[in-house]
Amino acid sequence: MSKTITTTFSHLALGVAAALGTGIALPAAAAETTWAGFVENATYYRDGVGISKFRNTAQGEFETRFESDTFRSLKLNGVLRGTYDGVYDLNDDEFGKDAQHAYLGQNWHGQDTSTAILTPGVSFPCENDPTLCGNLDGYMDHDENDARFPEFNDKLDFIRELYVSADKELNNGDILSVRLGKQQVVWGKTDLFRVLDVINPVDYSRHNIYDELEDIRIPQWMLTAEWRMGPNSVFDDSNLSLVWNFDKFRPNNLGTCGQSYRILDAGCFFSSSANLQLIPGGPYSQPVPIIHDVEEPNWSLANTQLGMKWEGVYGDATFSVNALTYRQQLPSLHFRPLAPGAPVPAADGVFDIKFPRVNLVGGSIDYYSMDMDAVWRLEMAYTEGEEMPRDTNGHKETDMLRYVIGFDKNIIIPELGTRSAFLLSTQLFGEHILDHEADMPNDEDNWIATVLFKGFYMNNRLSPQVIVAHDFAAKSTVYAPSVSWTPDNHWMFNLGLNFKTGGNETFPWSVASAFGDSSAQFEPLARFTNGPIGVANEEDEIQLTVRYSF
Amino acid sequence: MLKKTLLSAAIAMTVATGAQAADVSEEIIQQSFYPYANGAPTFEGLQAGMTINQGNVEQFKDVLDPGMYRFIKNGDTEIKVGATTSFDLHPSYVEATRKYSGDVALGAGHGEISPTVAGRPFPAEPSTDDPRAGEKLAWNYKYGYNWGDSAAIAPFYWTMRDMESGKKERVLKFNFHFLNFTHRTSQEPYPKIEPNPSELFRGIYAQVLEPFDVKNTQLLIHRFEDDTKVDNAYLYLGFQRRVRRLSSGQTTDAFLGTDVMIEDFEGYNGRISDMKWNYQGTRYMLMPFFNHNELALDAETHQDDDGYQVVAFGGKGGCFPNITWQLRKVYEVDSVPVDENHPISKRTHFMDAQTFTIPRTVVYDRKGDMWKNWVIGQAHPDHHLPVNKGTGVSIDDAFTMIDIQANHCTTGQFKGIVDPEMSPVDKFSVQNMRASGN
Repeated sequence: MSKTITTTFSHLALGVAAALGTGIALPAAAAETTWAGFVENATYYRDGVGISKFRNTAQGEFETRFESDTFRSLKLNGVLRGTYDGVYDLNDDEFGKDAQHAYLGQNWHGQDTSTAILTPGVSFPCENDPTLCGNLDGYMDHDENDARFPEFNDKLDFIRELYVSADKELNNGDILSVRLGKQQVVWGKTDLFRVLDVINPVDYSRHNIYDELEDIRIPQWMLTAEWRMGPNSVFDDSNLSLVWNFDKFRPNNLGTCGQSYRILDAGCFFSSSANLQLIPGGPYSQPVPIIHDVEEPNWSLANTQLGMKWEGVYGDATFSVNALTYRQQLPSLHFRPLAPGAPVPAADGVFDIKFPRVNLVGGSIDYYSMDMDAVWRLEMAYTEGEEMPRDTNGHKETDMLRYVIGFDKNIIIPELGTRSAFLLSTQLFGEHILDHEADMPNDEDNWIATVLFKGFYMNNRLSPQVIVAHDFAAKSTVYAPSVSWTPDNHWMFNLGLNFKTGGNETFPWSVASAFGDSSAQFEPLARFTNGPIGVANEEDEIQLTVRYSF
Repeated sequence: MLKKTLLSAAIAMTVATGAQAADVSEEIIQQSFYPYANGAPTFEGLQAGMTINQGNVEQFKDVLDPGMYRFIKNGDTEIKVGATTSFDLHPSYVEATRKYSGDVALGAGHGEISPTVAGRPFPAEPSTDDPRAGEKLAWNYKYGYNWGDSAAIAPFYWTMRDMESGKKERVLKFNFHFLNFTHRTSQEPYPKIEPNPSELFRGIYAQVLEPFDVKNTQLLIHRFEDDTKVDNAYLYLGFQRRVRRLSSGQTTDAFLGTDVMIEDFEGYNGRISDMKWNYQGTRYMLMPFFNHNELALDAETHQDDDGYQVVAFGGKGGCFPNITWQLRKVYEVDSVPVDENHPISKRTHFMDAQTFTIPRTVVYDRKGDMWKNWVIGQAHPDHHLPVNKGTGVSIDDAFTMIDIQANHCTTGQFKGIVDPEMSPVDKFSVQNMRASGN
């Protein structure tokens, strides 16, 4: 149960007013604060590896509501989270700074010429290799303690959210709402994969793509303003909102080499080197690091990110129209030639990591079909400025189109022993590369299909579900059955399996050809072909989560 | 109080200046809204202050519905009898009925009605000779005064209980809000709120406050003036931070795991056209009507600054509200789902003739066996919170939904507040769900 505390928050109230820039000195305001939260242990066991997660989380959330004559609503919200993942102490042969890799990609494929050309990734390079650490400075350069205690860092990630929000009713009845602080802003209607929901970057090192996005979005310091216009003669509801992400840019966290979850195994690729010294008569005397530098945008006004959304309800449809200028949250590799025009890389590093500016327009709509008694969801985003990986030069800028078609229906199946309806939710996530090239490991068009089938027994306290996702280009599939047991208001137990197939796709790599093997290779490009499901093909796990909420 | 009086006068003036059919006769108005003006009903041996229990239940079988009779006979509960009291609805609603309902008629199709403005559409006594009498009574419920033009239940405790062991399995704490967009009589603006492009009739908005795993779950239901149009329902899940549309299948599902369907809310929360309505007759029955302030209340579940306490529960498994019951005039109406895949085969509603609330409903499963019993205790507004005095709203004050097949129940404890400031129009919007969800 949450706790309610009534107190006097005069200083805080004044601070809130100042933060909102209203210039209005609020009088001491009686404030009611409610607290809630949980402690949780998540222990995962990976087939053939052992414990892959022993995550212990404590999270507290509070909301303080202030009484105000100026605002219709004035409140302060915060979410604090601390995590200790004991996997680095319990299974340090497999994970952590001392974890060794026989070859690059050992955790998802066999050896070939590419794995002879590339060295194994270095686990936690800042604990093992000062040069690599320096090259990766600022991005995926965590040390082991950063992984062990992921929120306790110089970015103060233990403050998951902290924002003040105020609603002001205008004379015409419209509502002007402002929210300032560290927060998550959620756009779109998609589960598991993101199309419009791209304002906050994501921490995939927590549990790949499988944790709730609420828990893995990386909150940003932002200002949001909304003009809630309500109904008019055409729309039942409409709202215009502006999002200004003025935080220093942060990319997605893909997981540092040595962590138990590193999506696409990118972390180990970034901490590997090319054995170019093996080229007879070449200019190289030692392996060349794959990454030379990470060019994270510095904070400047020009580097902030801005979005606008108009959304509303029209008849049986809810819709949004979205526009966003932001930065690509996945790294783009820019080739560094040995000399201008040379097809061979510089001796101090093959690529620089960059995060290009991206402009997005898109929209979403959902519609209830009376005839089918089902809900259709559509979401689409068109971007310009994204850079996709390719063999030549590492990347190419291309426009992208992403879309999702979702279908949700509730079905009563008495034969399955419950009067509660089962939820069937399916999605088809599509991606189209408009300026596709043959040397891009991603197909010009690809689709991922997801199915969720969830049932409810014993007054919803026992809930089994199955999630299946299939990546068509990767020919990989993940199956995630689980059952959740909630005996009372406090305890929750979740037991699940997560196993995958696929991860066998290869892709031609020109460097291997130069070494005399023109066949398709696993490294480094096939990681993109195989995607987050295929690259994790050896990560079959049994997962137990125990949570106590208060 | 003065303000409410002025509002009543205003609605009276408003309706007086509109183009009107002939007024409903005073005899019908008196019969419909003041059934106890000439005295309370009686039943042999029944007296206020007495208790009906396992020992004397047979004597009073005729004034009990089959569900309550079964519970008392089994010794699961006993009920205390109170004096019959008049629950006068707000004068503005009575006046609107007088002025607007003279020429209201059912349409040719099921679920169709001629244009109505406000008030009880069919105030005349139902007749068993009228094959559509049940449908008319259902319309009287739909356009009833219920929670008035707007109201809130804040907070609202739902407790899931094992009836056998009495164990409280889960407690959900909500805030609920209700708003009529049309058919308004007592709160400005009336008779309708504009703009209203989709011609919504009513909105229901609910937000979960506790426990943590479902905190910030929100439900919004928009019901249309056009009864043939399916409700639009939206759900906001706190962990997804997104508003999702609900298919109507979810309105007949266990709401958040409780024994209550969304379709059960307030007695019946669906379209008239979803059911075939069959009037079974007029009876005098013991119904859960009482004065909240005169009950022995639950001092533990809820405490607040104004000293309000919620209704206590007892009986088998703690599934029965500790309230008093009074002998009242009741219309017995069966509703049979049109959809053959509906999880129930029939509900038998016992509609209170004066208020057109539905305090008692017995639910039958697809096989025709008794499945659930739905009790919604009604408190007199003048013996409740001071803010409710004079509102003319029969206050939903305690509920229990008992699944007799699963030996399980969900109980509800209310703090009902008739205050338009708690339920502004923008609270019934999709944007509000998103903004309130954090």
